[in-house]
Amino acid sequence: MSDEEHHFESKADAGASKTYPQQAGTIRKNGYIVIKNRPCKVVEVSTSKTGKHGHAKCHFVGIDIFNGKKLEDIVPSSHNCDVPHVTRTDYQLIDISEDGFLSLLTDSGGTKDDLRLPTDENLLSQIKDGFAEGKDLVVTVMSSMGEEQICALKDIGPKN
Amino acid sequence: MQRSPNDLSQLQATMRAIELACSSIQMMVNPAEAEATILSFCQSPQPYQACQYIIENSQMPNARFQAATAIRDAAIRELEFSAAEKETFLAEVKQATLGIHGADVQFIGINFLESLVSEFSLSTSTTMVLPTEFHDQCQKSMELEYLKAFYCWARDAALSMTNKILDSDSAVPETKASTAALRLMLQILNWDFRYSKNGVEGAKGRKNVFSARVGNDNNLSRRSECTVVQPGPAWHEVLISSGHISWLLSFYRALRKKFSCEGFWLDCPLAVSARKLIVQFCSLKGDIFHSDNGQMQENHLLQLLSGIIEWVNPPEAVSKAIESGKSESEMLDGCRALLSIATVTTPVVFDQLLKSISSFGTLTLLSALMCEVLKVLIVSNAEEETWSWVARDLLLDTWTALLVPIESGGKTGLLPAEGRNAAANVFSLIVESELKAASASACSDDVDTDYFQASVSAMDERLSSYALIGRAAIDITIPLLTNLFNERVARLHQGRGITDPTVTLEELYSMLLIIGHVLADEGDGETPLVPKAIQTQHVASGESEKHPVVVLSSSILNFAKQSLDPEMRASIFSPRLMEAIAWFLARWSSTYLMPPEETGENSGSGYDNNHMVQSLCSSKALLIFGEHNQGKSVLDLVVHIATTTLVFYPGEKDLQALTCYHLLHALVRRRNVCVHLVALDSWHHLANAFANERLLFTLYSAHQRSLAQTLVVSASGMRNPDASNQYVRDLMGHMTNYLVELSSKNDLKIVAQQPDVILSVSCLLERLRGAARATEPRTQKAIYEMGSTVMNSILIFLEVYKHEFAVVYLLLKFVVDWVDGQIIYLEAQETAGVVNFCMRLLQLYSSHNIGKISLSLSSSLLSEAKTEKYKDLRALLQLLANLCSKDLVDFSSDSTETPGTNISQVVYFGLCIVIPLISLDLLKYPKLCRDFFSLLSHLLEVYPEMVAQLNDEAFSHVLGTLDFGLHHQDTEVVDMCLRALKALASYHYKETSVGKVGLGARAAGSKDQSGQMSEGIFSQFLRTLLHLVLFEDYSIDLVSAAADALLPLILCEQALYQRLGNELIERQVNPAFKSRLANALQSLTSSNQLSFTLDRMNYQRFRKNLNHFLVEVRGFLRMI
Repeated sequence: MSDEEHHFESKADAGASKTYPQQAGTIRKNGYIVIKNRPCKVVEVSTSKTGKHGHAKCHFVGIDIFNGKKLEDIVPSSHNCDVPHVTRTDYQLIDISEDGFLSLLTDSGGTKDDLRLPTDENLLSQIKDGFAEGKDLVVTVMSSMGEEQICALKDIGPKN
Repeated sequence: MQRSPNDLSQLQATMRAIELACSSIQMMVNPAEAEATILSFCQSPQPYQACQYIIENSQMPNARFQAATAIRDAAIRELEFSAAEKETFLAEVKQATLGIHGADVQFIGINFLESLVSEFSLSTSTTMVLPTEFHDQCQKSMELEYLKAFYCWARDAALSMTNKILDSDSAVPETKASTAALRLMLQILNWDFRYSKNGVEGAKGRKNVFSARVGNDNNLSRRSECTVVQPGPAWHEVLISSGHISWLLSFYRALRKKFSCEGFWLDCPLAVSARKLIVQFCSLKGDIFHSDNGQMQENHLLQLLSGIIEWVNPPEAVSKAIESGKSESEMLDGCRALLSIATVTTPVVFDQLLKSISSFGTLTLLSALMCEVLKVLIVSNAEEETWSWVARDLLLDTWTALLVPIESGGKTGLLPAEGRNAAANVFSLIVESELKAASASACSDDVDTDYFQASVSAMDERLSSYALIGRAAIDITIPLLTNLFNERVARLHQGRGITDPTVTLEELYSMLLIIGHVLADEGDGETPLVPKAIQTQHVASGESEKHPVVVLSSSILNFAKQSLDPEMRASIFSPRLMEAIAWFLARWSSTYLMPPEETGENSGSGYDNNHMVQSLCSSKALLIFGEHNQGKSVLDLVVHIATTTLVFYPGEKDLQALTCYHLLHALVRRRNVCVHLVALDSWHHLANAFANERLLFTLYSAHQRSLAQTLVVSASGMRNPDASNQYVRDLMGHMTNYLVELSSKNDLKIVAQQPDVILSVSCLLERLRGAARATEPRTQKAIYEMGSTVMNSILIFLEVYKHEFAVVYLLLKFVVDWVDGQIIYLEAQETAGVVNFCMRLLQLYSSHNIGKISLSLSSSLLSEAKTEKYKDLRALLQLLANLCSKDLVDFSSDSTETPGTNISQVVYFGLCIVIPLISLDLLKYPKLCRDFFSLLSHLLEVYPEMVAQLNDEAFSHVLGTLDFGLHHQDTEVVDMCLRALKALASYHYKETSVGKVGLGARAAGSKDQSGQMSEGIFSQFLRTLLHLVLFEDYSIDLVSAAADALLPLILCEQALYQRLGNELIERQVNPAFKSRLANALQSLTSSNQLSFTLDRMNYQRFRKNLNHFLVEVRGFLRMI
């Protein structure tokens, strides 16, 4: 196996990029895609042709991972799409301040204090109630394309 | 019937009352009172006169409807009463039916009989809350005692009106009555005859007591409805020898002549009913005809056909008349009659029928008719369904009915020569019409839903019928296909770069589908043989190269080869055309490419010597694509074409799916082909590109999985196991190395989240999974190494990607498939390693997911998250089930003395991890539900003792799910729960009978905190199960499983069983039922020398007993 065929090395400056190109035909349901400059989760992919004997195109239905809005796009399947870099980080929830910010404990022992509570009543109460009951909570913060948001909550048992 | 004025006013009053009630119900004014009025009317004794009056005189449809209902209800009550009353009543109906009281009353009488017959046929009866046994008896007595009499009344009624109808010029009341009589006769012939077979109850006669409203038994697998009518010998006199049919035919003929100027007449009820009845007569079959070598049936059919032929012959004139406005219904009924006749005869008899009265055979007529219909289709080219569509489908079904027995090797042999020509004519028109349709649709843009798979399966049925017709005359049809195909190819070449090829491309696409169907059968996972019709038909030339199948195949292969040339590819080979080529090659290769060399024709039963010689010639000619002939070069070509579709058609997912799942799978299905595959340079290039080049990473990841599987399977073609294993190592080594390297990177946490890395990892996991699925004894070692190399990396990835569902799922699925393939081969030490790995995987997964809630603004994202969880859990359950199989099948060389891993403990541990993640809500996913219960029942069957060791929470969860499963609608789930119950109860019974504790406190029941005594588990399940078997609907297949669970439950809880039995008996009001139930319960536990042991014999006896018991008592216990 020759060296130039060895393509699996990761790029050193990878973290800098917000999105990556990927061939439309390879994007699967449950993957991510950028539609109208928004990071989306793909909930539906279908293929069709441009005319009976034309080339394939992909029809994507995505849901904006931050605001939940539905977006759609059609791309020739041999063309590239942008795929967003989505990261999720776990933090232990230390405190909820009165001005609507969370205080989170990072892996390295520092704190992260710049994350706002969600404005949606339902999400808000799920976080607040759990915290009020004295549960030990880990929050998962999802970030992509310069935005971040809490996407999951995990009860790691009562404090004892 | 003379009515006194007094009666009349009373009748009018009743009618007004009913009409008032009906309208007030409609307007919602005082509905309760109105309902009461109607109810009391319906329940009044002998309301016939009033009903009749209302039906005749009321202007309100609702009132008439209520009256009809009242008649029916009353009649059913009446029949339940004394025999004498019944006889008087029926005598009155007979009088009415025969027209003693005039045509109007006659009409009512016939209508009444019609509703009576329909009420007594279980499938159309209304719900009356009467025991099923009652319905059953009614049905039987109806069939044996009344049906024929009713039929004769109707027949006589119709006969008596013949002249009046024929003589009068306008519609007379007799027309209505006569129509009703014909309809009644038709309905009676539609009866599901069960008891008439030689007077003995046939096997079919035993009713299914386990579920209400069973489907029709003679459900033939045809698209058009065509049920065979078998009323038995008792009906011979009435239907066959009485001249009844010839009366019917001449009646229809006379009417037809009389009204020949009035086009509407064909659709009037009398004509429709008469035709339907005639068509129904065409499906008569069975011992109603004497056993005289079919002579009597042939005469019968000939008689019918000579009447029917006017409806469809001459085809040209008939279709012209329809196109210019005549009703098509008579012609369609003619087609239906032909279908019925084809269903009850053989092709030879079918063809002969017409020959005795005309210069041509029935097959020729069928062919001419079909050609005519196709011509109309070609010209009209309509989008929506027209008469020609319906006619085409009916006639296609007729061909299928005739040709299928030939194809499946029945004794009927081939079509007669004239029939073959007829088939060839039809086939050439079929191809013409399909080509026309293809070219017309070529440029339409509504192709969004029209992708390959869907279009093929939608057309498949039709294409299969076409193929049957084409194969009936291959010496004509196949050369025709070759010419048409070559013509189109030539047209493409001539017009290259000059004209738009779309129309021709679409025609070729359509032709490839047709040719594929004609030449070869769908394999369905097996190696399909050359179709019988092609094998056995005499083909003139002896040389292989000139065999029409060989000529056609070569034409297509040559054409497909041109797709390898880049310029040709760009200008001609569109993705859609390539789809057809890939599909065709897959189908064709399975049959013709390197066929398994036969060591001798199987002693051709059903074929005479002459046929056998021909068949050998034909097969020999087709061996030209065999291993020792052109096979290798064709195989090489196919691999090149497959590679082309993967490399030069970027993003064409559908095409590549066909290549991966159909074409390549077809190539590696047989080992003799693999031997040649692995020796080909082209195959080597494909494997090398897959292992080492970036290019194939742009394939859809699921396709990469399939490709990996295919390549690993082909390793079985290497000369020995060592070489096979080395082949797999070379193929997969680079991929596992990459994963191991990546997982040991320091900055993995950062790098791993990059989309390009996620893509690579996903693709590689899919490939590993594909390889794992290809595990065979020959390559097991290499695949074990592949998996064990990445075990540690898998755990690392599971941690790193814990929030990335798509990757987690792939990780789990890889492990599931790998363990599935490997576990039975592993030695003790390897097993321990794998089991340990699986446990760590389960713990890790559980620690990530227990107590986790997804938060999102989008409800669809939340429901996606739920589905993802379900899929994960299903994978985990499969993993546990796979581990279990080690205890059942073990091919390792370890002797039993080596201390192995205790699988049961491991799996129970796993179950305890998984159970908290599974909610009853999640069990609504049917697949998860099945997996869960199959694991659960397996565990309880094999390790019942472990149940006692479960903690309270897990224990009650297990029981809760069992109870849930018992009432599931999926028969398999119920079956698995019953098996689990059997295992638990018999374990407990056996243990306690030797003085051990068994399930101890859990079986005994306990007091909860509030002091309430709760029943032990076996008491609860005994109640549940008894209720289930006695009162609920379930499949008959479950009775044995239920018996197996019930016996040990009864033995565990004998006292409770006695008590429940007594309660049941006490509840019966009817003394006859009471004593029957008591006796049945008695013999359930005592007959057949049933004992108190749980051995095989005893289980068998109890199954028998329970079956008898249920047949005896369910009839009156269950209400419908």
